[in-house]
Amino acid sequence: MTPRIRFIRLVTAAAALIVLLFSSAGGVAVQSASADTYVPISGSGSTWSQNALDQWRKNVAANYGMTVNYSGTGSSAGRQDFITGAVDFAVSEIPFQAQPEDGSAPEVPSTKYAYMPIVAGGTSFMYNLKIGGKRVTNLRLDGDVITKIFTGAITNWNDPAIQKDNPGLAMPDKPIVPVLRSDGSGSTAQFTLWMSKKHSDLWNTFCTSVGRATPCGLTSQYPGFGNAKLQNGSLGVAGYVSQDYGEGAITYVEYSYALKSGFPVAKVLNNAGYYIEPTAPSVAVALVGATINPNLTQELSGVYNNTDPRTYPLSSYSYMIIPTEVKGIFTAEKGKTLGAFTSYLLCEGQQQAAALGYSPLPLNLVQAASDQVKRIPGGPAGGVDLANCNNPALTILNSAPQPAACDQQGPNQCTTGTAGAVTDTPVTGSGSGGAAANAPAGSAGAAGSAAAAASGAAAGGAAAASSAAADPAAAAAASNTAVYDANGAVVTGSAAVGAAVAVSRPLSLDDSAFGAQQIVMIAAGVLLLLAIVLPPFLSRRLRRHR
Amino acid sequence: MAKRRTFESLTDVHSLLTDKTSVKEPVERVFAEEIEGSEPQRPDDSPETDGRTTRNRREPTNYGGDDRRSLVSTPSRSDSVFKLVSFTAGATTVGIMLAVGLFLSLRANDALQVEGINFLFEQQWSPDTHQFGIAAVIFGTFTIAIIAMFVGVPLAVGTALLLSEVVRGPLRSFMVSMVDLMAAVPSVVFGLWGLFFLQANVIPVSKWISTYFAWIPVFAVQDSATGQTLTEASAFTSSAFIAGIVVGLMVVPTQTSVMREAFSQAPVGEREAAFALGSTRWGMIRTVVLPFGRGGMIGGVMLGLGRALGETIAVYLIISPIFTINWEVLKTGTNSVSALIALRYGEATQFGLSALMAAGLVLFLITLIVNFTASSIVARSRSGAQTN
Repeated sequence: MTPRIRFIRLVTAAAALIVLLFSSAGGVAVQSASADTYVPISGSGSTWSQNALDQWRKNVAANYGMTVNYSGTGSSAGRQDFITGAVDFAVSEIPFQAQPEDGSAPEVPSTKYAYMPIVAGGTSFMYNLKIGGKRVTNLRLDGDVITKIFTGAITNWNDPAIQKDNPGLAMPDKPIVPVLRSDGSGSTAQFTLWMSKKHSDLWNTFCTSVGRATPCGLTSQYPGFGNAKLQNGSLGVAGYVSQDYGEGAITYVEYSYALKSGFPVAKVLNNAGYYIEPTAPSVAVALVGATINPNLTQELSGVYNNTDPRTYPLSSYSYMIIPTEVKGIFTAEKGKTLGAFTSYLLCEGQQQAAALGYSPLPLNLVQAASDQVKRIPGGPAGGVDLANCNNPALTILNSAPQPAACDQQGPNQCTTGTAGAVTDTPVTGSGSGGAAANAPAGSAGAAGSAAAAASGAAAGGAAAASSAAADPAAAAAASNTAVYDANGAVVTGSAAVGAAVAVSRPLSLDDSAFGAQQIVMIAAGVLLLLAIVLPPFLSRRLRRHR
Repeated sequence: MAKRRTFESLTDVHSLLTDKTSVKEPVERVFAEEIEGSEPQRPDDSPETDGRTTRNRREPTNYGGDDRRSLVSTPSRSDSVFKLVSFTAGATTVGIMLAVGLFLSLRANDALQVEGINFLFEQQWSPDTHQFGIAAVIFGTFTIAIIAMFVGVPLAVGTALLLSEVVRGPLRSFMVSMVDLMAAVPSVVFGLWGLFFLQANVIPVSKWISTYFAWIPVFAVQDSATGQTLTEASAFTSSAFIAGIVVGLMVVPTQTSVMREAFSQAPVGEREAAFALGSTRWGMIRTVVLPFGRGGMIGGVMLGLGRALGETIAVYLIISPIFTINWEVLKTGTNSVSALIALRYGEATQFGLSALMAAGLVLFLITLIVNFTASSIVARSRSGAQTN
């Protein structure tokens, strides 16, 4: 071996050692910062709530040095883990099944437990539809039509029932492709629960046609039918709809996915006769109607039939199943951690719900949850401190914006876009709008696209009423004088085609500084690259010198 | 060492022309080791040179070692330790295989008792109503695997021949490590690539095939209810064809390395003979390399088939699972056992889990059969190659 090669080896080894030292030093620093008196706890269950839980776990680890482990293995697996005593808590969309339909053993936990609401959300309907080559962003649907679409009873976009909901659009002759979740999911459970409660006749007919026992309730596993495509995960269904080949597709997915992919969601007719978008405030207002059964399970008929005009009807929440006695692996020390964690997530944690695509829990549910937190052995005796609770939804009934007049059921239809698609869709304002559908967007379109550039970040706030104030400059740019409500939606009505612009202000996020961690990561990346590229070239060289 | 060059064969001349470092002095080494009587140091070089020196080395030893000596060998301590260690390793591996099989059979018992033999013939999958079977799922698994073989095998054979016969030098080592790197790409990456990039680009191809070859039943794309020919882009998404292409690309590296190894074992004497008789490089490959590498080719194909049958994540991301037998491979909807398990186990009840285990057991047995068939074919054709 020549000295040169020996030198190269020495240098490489030294570099690797330095990187190692750096990374381990960083790890030690983080460890020492998080040393505190909380005992680690672990849970498993719902994938639907996982995004929120992961964010909260990260926050409590950074701020309070609390270690909370969570694995999103699915609601049923989570409940099983709780029964066998493998975890301290579980998260599920549905309660324990006392009588499983397939004759499995009933789910009876040996420990005492309680259900506690943790995070709410609306089932939104993301779609990809074009009329004359122009994307539709203001589709409106009622519950009956949605159920028929997702049970195969309505198969074409020009169905009279859809046309009736959308007097301002000339619905195209295009087959509807319902995109369903192929994996077991909480989204499916919440959507099918709504269908089984509100449209039980249609849902039962469908169940019979796919060979399920009737009367059938909610299911986590949507059965495939006719023209439907089944895709895996929220990313899968949202990805399918947003592709070019997804034209004509509609899916049920969390609101945040529509925002991220820049696609619109359907406004759904509520009991007050308004078509409402599933924003965080409209879900929170709807959940004010949620009641809790004596056995602590959820009762959502008050949500589905809420008569407040601001409510989004397909709203629901998921539970955390918490132990209420010390037994098995659950100790009082763990109870302290669990109590602190739940107190955090019910108040501070709910601030991030909207940004993560969920909705904050309103006052009634936080109070109900607080009653359960009291029962955790070792938890806070007084429950959640509502006076110092930073939950943005506690006063949602006062702060949520009223819907625009054009969103009311009737001949008018708002032109503003929804969710991730903020460009307008021009309408006629009367029942038959064939000509307007192909008309050029005009100045409003240009202003709309300017606003679209700023949408991404602001949309992350789910158009939270407080942050999305009307931007005066953009408003002046519009050709007509339009009146906006606090949500940035047009109040004047759809007759003023061309003036309707969704305006929003970009929300900037802090960049994390370029620190030691980043340098270590880059160094590790370079080393990996060298390890791949060098050997074929270097080995020749080394051999020649032998 | 002096710069003496000995050309043993035409291939040495070939390699000299392309790579200046690969020529060794085999004759000299043979003599050196005979004198010292010690185990020679294996030269680190390309496999064909390695194989040649090995054969040359053995001849003198056989002639030299015919003194009177006992035929009963007493194993040394290192020998017996080695024997023990290797026996333990082998027994553990076999034991784990058996344990997996036993676990699957035990857990599958509940479901199999309910459904019985009908489990193999039922298409629906509804454990809740006790109506479930794997006919459609197994069909989908094989459809995807066969399409994967149609995509993967030609690519693998071509790449293996390129690497063993055509390119030389640093380029070759670079390409070898690139192919090996492809095997290290996680399957979820392949799946996401297939889902978000490949699918949109394959749809026009599917459409073209279904337009011009619809007279072959498997390439037709028709509405299952009305029998109308479908032309919408959405009719071609999430099909067995797309999943098969992605899985095919995933098995290419495995197949390539097995085949490359087999091709490079083709004897030098026959290669030279072919060249001496005036054959072109292709003629030599066709008459020498391919017949000698047949065992390796079959082995590689079977190994790839085993992997394609069991591939989970890529398939799980791409397909739209259905529970009917779908002969139209270009049309939406297929299924696979491993994807079914991955999709369903999270929300499965105890009984549903048992049904999934039963499906897993069937796949396990099928994979075993495929592998046993493969190894017997390989063994037979290998012995044939040696007597040739």
